Amino acid sequence: MEPLKIVGNREIRVDGMAKVTGKAIYPQDIFLENALYGYTVRSTKVHAKIEVDIKKAEEIEGVVKILTHKDVTGMNAHGVLFKDQEVFCSQKVRRIGDPIAFVIAKSQKVAKEASKMVEIKYTELPAVFDPVEAMKEDAPIIHDTTNIRYYYKCRKGNVEEAFKKCDVIVEREYKTSMVEHAFLQTESGVSYVDKEGVINVCAATQYPHFDQLEVAEGLGVNKEQVRIINPAVGGAFGGREDITLQIHLALGAYLLKKPIRMTYSREESFYAHAKRHPIVMKYKTGADKNGKLIAMEATLIGDTGAYASWAINVMRKAGVHATGPYEIQNVAIDSYSVYTNNPYCGAMRGFGATQVPVASEQQMDIIAEKLGISPIEIRLRNCFKVGSKTATGQLLNESVPLKKCIEEVQNKLF
Amino acid sequence: MIRQCITPSTLEAVLNILDEEGKDVELIAGGTDLVIDIRNEKFKKSKLLNIAKFKLLKFININEDKTSIGSGTKFTDIVENGEVEKLFLGLWKACKSVGAPQIRNMGTIGGNICNGSPAADSVPPLLALDANLIMISKDKERVIPLREFYLDKGRVDRREDELLYAIKFNTLKRNEGIAFEKLGLRKALAISRISCSIYIQLEKNDYIKNIRIATGALGKYPQREVELECMLKNQEISTGLLNTVSKHMSHIVEQRLKGRSSMHFKRSAISGLFIKTCKDAVEEAKKNV
Amino acid sequence: MFRINFTINNKGYTVDVDEALRLVDLLRDKFQLTGTKEGCAEGECGACTVIMDGRTVQSCLVMAFQADGSNITTIEGLEREDGLHPIQRAFLDAGAVQCGFCTPGMVLSSKALLDKNSNPSREEIREGLSGNLCRCTGYNKIVDAVALASKYLKEEESDGASENSRK
Repeated sequence: MEPLKIVGNREIRVDGMAKVTGKAIYPQDIFLENALYGYTVRSTKVHAKIEVDIKKAEEIEGVVKILTHKDVTGMNAHGVLFKDQEVFCSQKVRRIGDPIAFVIAKSQKVAKEASKMVEIKYTELPAVFDPVEAMKEDAPIIHDTTNIRYYYKCRKGNVEEAFKKCDVIVEREYKTSMVEHAFLQTESGVSYVDKEGVINVCAATQYPHFDQLEVAEGLGVNKEQVRIINPAVGGAFGGREDITLQIHLALGAYLLKKPIRMTYSREESFYAHAKRHPIVMKYKTGADKNGKLIAMEATLIGDTGAYASWAINVMRKAGVHATGPYEIQNVAIDSYSVYTNNPYCGAMRGFGATQVPVASEQQMDIIAEKLGISPIEIRLRNCFKVGSKTATGQLLNESVPLKKCIEEVQNKLF
Repeated sequence: MIRQCITPSTLEAVLNILDEEGKDVELIAGGTDLVIDIRNEKFKKSKLLNIAKFKLLKFININEDKTSIGSGTKFTDIVENGEVEKLFLGLWKACKSVGAPQIRNMGTIGGNICNGSPAADSVPPLLALDANLIMISKDKERVIPLREFYLDKGRVDRREDELLYAIKFNTLKRNEGIAFEKLGLRKALAISRISCSIYIQLEKNDYIKNIRIATGALGKYPQREVELECMLKNQEISTGLLNTVSKHMSHIVEQRLKGRSSMHFKRSAISGLFIKTCKDAVEEAKKNV
Repeated sequence: MFRINFTINNKGYTVDVDEALRLVDLLRDKFQLTGTKEGCAEGECGACTVIMDGRTVQSCLVMAFQADGSNITTIEGLEREDGLHPIQRAFLDAGAVQCGFCTPGMVLSSKALLDKNSNPSREEIREGLSGNLCRCTGYNKIVDAVALASKYLKEEESDGASENSRK
């Protein structure tokens, strides 16, 4: 066989040269002539009915237009799975940071100053911040009917019977925290209508094709009338999968026929995009005296905050991975995504698979300790190998080198 | 809103401006804290008085008896001074732990002191060194002990017409040493969660002739821990003694931070930090012979 | 307005700046030197690092008027007529570039470090870069790159020396 040209060789990345010289263009590096500047007015209350008055702000010199839900020409909704986020809140806000209005002005300074003059009258509603509380029947409802956005159920064998046979049972509750991506390049973009009438949006995104659809829906135009340009992206890690400023910019450019640019501050970036789901994890794991796992029961409650984003995929994946990479014959997993008035949660490196090991691996350590065997040994006795069946019934029929990996770690550590 | 920025060419001119319109101007040296306030619209005065480039404020003079550091001396200059490292290891370490290289390249020791932050890194070692501040104004010079300089969180005893000129303290001699330890959330760029600095003077190897203990981020401002000093002064140093004192320190922290969420962490963390700093200070004192 | 004289990448300028303007805004908005990035606006991330009078500073923490009389090097000033600076070459060769937003700051911090210490240990490299964050978690390769850059610079020096002796 001829030697391969790429595989096995160290290639210089195509955008490397531009990046080490500082020439790579991120959205904030684009300066368009006569561009207007946008600034988002965001909610300062967690859960409230709103009335918006833009009159005073409009009168400020240099303000060109202030967009609210009334200006949305298409569908005032977006969202990767459910259209549960509004382009601009119309009736109520569900979290701190919900976009309410968009000030377009001749300079950033004016836009920011004017944003302070947009008057918002809040009528506060009861709010809920704990996903366990939010599941209760009398909890404040954040969207239409129930706060439980998604339920995933997995059953294998007979857990109840199996626990009776266990020599050791460990029952614990674990919680992970909300995590922010903090990609270095904050959200930024420019939008303009070109000579052909195409609305161009240049923004760092993970989903140009999906953004195109959502922008078109928001504006009420054909998909072909929207072009998303993805320049250099300064990190994303899942945090750029949802719409943030794309529709705001596009709508402004579409209505005014003038280029608009904006860049979020770090603080606004924190408000704007999704976070990693915090998950409450109730685990009950049982093993025989040799450390062989027999049964596991897990309830996972993921706080998706005010909006669903990728909550379903995240909590399904958390459920699928709840056993960890261990074979257990009797399993019962219940996994939920629950709305609260917290910042909304979505994709972040690992999609739910990152959170569950905090619980499943600590369970392993505690069981090992109770049985007086080493944490390595208990893992070797239970880990997936070729031929194993996962809790969801998937047969692992090739390449499962976990045992080898654990042994390598053991050799290096001890 | 900043309306004016003044960069006088002489120190005399600076003092004149402070004398005439001290209450309307803010001094800017390194600016590493002030610039953030300006951006966040927290800066309320209208004029900035730029003193960043005055060579007269940048000096490190180490004499046999006294050491003085100009208020405009940047942390990098202190860190790159071998004499400071040799004689005042605790102070040197504290200066080295300020922010990151970029912050140390701009930030000045005077700014760190005058900002009044409870977590200012350079202050606990200066307190442990029993430093004095030399404040100058148009016609006067005022010397004030650093330990009396802090009035409240973010409030210091700098009068409107005054400029911090220099920090002055005794040059360490035989059997004297100073140490510094800090706990931050990460290795670099961390604001101190707690810090501790100890000056010690030994006699006959293990007898504590004199000791000064200062802590940071354990209250409204960095402070001396006189109660502990009394427990250790004129005592033979021993593990038992250190354990007793560190337990008492925990107790003090518990009382001082009652009702704050950080109390539990700080109560436990201080005892280890205290013992480590104390041992380091003893080692330093033994080295300085 | 405040008039300042300063040098950027070996070229002298006199400009009037707003009193409240920061150096990062001056460089990016007025001079369009967009290789200087803004990541946090509070001196935490180091993306806006430039070299001012031989030392690195975060240009988001420096007021424009503070740059009066100083000599500033940005990432745009590093390239040479015959191509990349050895540090830039090393970042490419070591695979130390991912999203690239931290890269200009990392390269400049590396330069300031190597100018002072031509043969830093890995620990010293980490310390020298401690004011620059990489969120793509590429630190190991970045440290590799600085070590490689140190090698490149030494090779260049010895090449230069032998060339001179030949002359």
